[in-house]
Amino acid sequence: MPRLNLYQEEFYPSPIQNTWKEFKENHAAVVSLYCVIFFIFIMIFGPFLAPFDPLQQHIDFLLVPPAWDNNGDISHLFGTDGLGRDMLSRILYGCRMTFGISLLLVVVSMLIGVALGAMAGMSKGFRSSMVNHLLDSIMAIPTLLIAIIIIAIVGTGLVNSMWAISLALIPQFIHQTRDIVRQKMKKEYVLAAQLDGAGKVHIFFNSILPNMAEMLVVQVTLALSVAILDISALGFLNLGAQAPSPELGALLSEGLSTAYVTPWNIALPGAAIFFMMMSINLVGDGLRSALRYRLLR
Amino acid sequence: MLRIMLRHISLLILTLFILSFFSFSLAYLFPGDPLVNLTGIRDSSEQTYALLAQQYAMNDSLFSQYWHYVNNLFSGNWGLSFSSGLPLAEEISRSLAASVELSAYALIISFVIGLPLGFLSGLRHHKFIDYSLLSASVIGYSIPVFWAALIAILLFSVQLGWFPLSGRISLLYDIPYDTGFILIDILLSDVPDKEFAFQDALRHLVLPSVSIAIVTSTIVLRITRRSVVEVMNSEYIQAAYARGLSPRQVFVRHGIKNALIPILPLLVMQFTTLLTNAMIVETIFSWPGIGNGLIQAIYQRDFPAIRAGMLAVSALVLTFTITSDMVIQIFDPARRRPEDATS
Repeated sequence: MPRLNLYQEEFYPSPIQNTWKEFKENHAAVVSLYCVIFFIFIMIFGPFLAPFDPLQQHIDFLLVPPAWDNNGDISHLFGTDGLGRDMLSRILYGCRMTFGISLLLVVVSMLIGVALGAMAGMSKGFRSSMVNHLLDSIMAIPTLLIAIIIIAIVGTGLVNSMWAISLALIPQFIHQTRDIVRQKMKKEYVLAAQLDGAGKVHIFFNSILPNMAEMLVVQVTLALSVAILDISALGFLNLGAQAPSPELGALLSEGLSTAYVTPWNIALPGAAIFFMMMSINLVGDGLRSALRYRLLR
Repeated sequence: MLRIMLRHISLLILTLFILSFFSFSLAYLFPGDPLVNLTGIRDSSEQTYALLAQQYAMNDSLFSQYWHYVNNLFSGNWGLSFSSGLPLAEEISRSLAASVELSAYALIISFVIGLPLGFLSGLRHHKFIDYSLLSASVIGYSIPVFWAALIAILLFSVQLGWFPLSGRISLLYDIPYDTGFILIDILLSDVPDKEFAFQDALRHLVLPSVSIAIVTSTIVLRITRRSVVEVMNSEYIQAAYARGLSPRQVFVRHGIKNALIPILPLLVMQFTTLLTNAMIVETIFSWPGIGNGLIQAIYQRDFPAIRAGMLAVSALVLTFTITSDMVIQIFDPARRRPEDATS
């Protein structure tokens, strides 16, 4: 006998489905999700898309304006810079570097931060309270300042600035994780697990982590936009990625030398950073409000 | 209340102690010989080296070196800058004042823009005006501040010539140094063309403070909006409506005050964003502030300046955040953390 399903119309969506349904209502967020996917696509396939090598100098095409200008040339869609390097390829490679490095940094600092935060959140007593308060105050020190100090110690360079930024990102994750773990530790399902004799590690991975995953994703989007801004700011100040490298901030600061003749050389890389940050911020916003309202409808 | 004050003051002292220890150890962490890093004198003879070592107490134990350093810090002897040869205490207090001035004006602008718009969009939650303000705020929030500053320079100083390109005031005016805040200094001084000097300083201020305020005002807007939405949905507002008050009365009597309370602590947390943006913008506009100074110091490997500047900025930030946290907790019992109540 075939199994009868009488209650077909009663469908209870899972929390993630609920979130996605709410997220889909926000068109701007969906569009920017596609933008983020587009940037990830560029990050992976950038070298195949770029028409030229980002460092190759075309001596016959110095300071060519973008193709939509009257003096533009279609072989260089975004024009060229003072050394005849193709801007489109440089921006594609730049998006790849900036976005990829930021993603890497955020993932690394998330792993470290969540581990430390879980330890801080699950411990009690005077020592944990002191560590927490100290952490709160260290969080107040600007990222740029921490980066400046680290760069002063180990010298300028992309890898050094990466260290600096990931160090500066970690405290946010610790803070967030610690607060959530504190909250969840008071829940009854954690108590139930404790009564079943689960150890701390088991409780964290099986009871708390699934419940904080969504907040973690939101925090990742926040940290990603901070990381992009910091990487490009350090590149722009010549403290991070150094001159020939096509990092977007370094591109901007290189464009400065010919800014009066070729304003597009600072307009285009900046616009790339802007779009990257805007799409990530919109996805983060959409996700946050989807999480907030998903149970209200 | 005494308990809260004690907690915060001890936290402040502890963090400042860690900071001072860290800045002390920087002399050893910077590449090269610590004494050369501190003095900037490279190939000194053995005699001068010994003399300098004695002056910086380098031959003593680490602990007494640290003690010596802290004593020097308190007596205002912060060492000399490599690049200018001037005492750092004076140089840093000047540039810090310039930075604080710039950030303060940026903060004022962003409050003037952000607060009313935030209230407007919070009261029209999920209406057209709310959506348009929110999208505008996302744009403002996502613009990299250095790019905004560069575009502003290209447009308003180079193309249109409305505002000066860089600096604090035209070189024509010689303003005596008094408080470190240029506008106040001009008012206090007795230079011949006071009004023109004041106007000139204002014109220099417009572009940098507006480019910082773009980001800060959107943050103010978003925080205000969130808080207004939450307050207007709360039960006491419904109760006020139930008592027959008009929307206007409800908002004025109950809404504004309660919406403003949670804004303040969130804004305090944005102080670092403001300072970071100010530091970046300073380098673009050659504003003689601490951010510009620190970055120049890195380019020139001016280690004493980096060390003292870092200590000054982080001490300022920490003192500000911890003090404001204390004030907030004293005046708003609802914000006190549960861990404080139990312990």
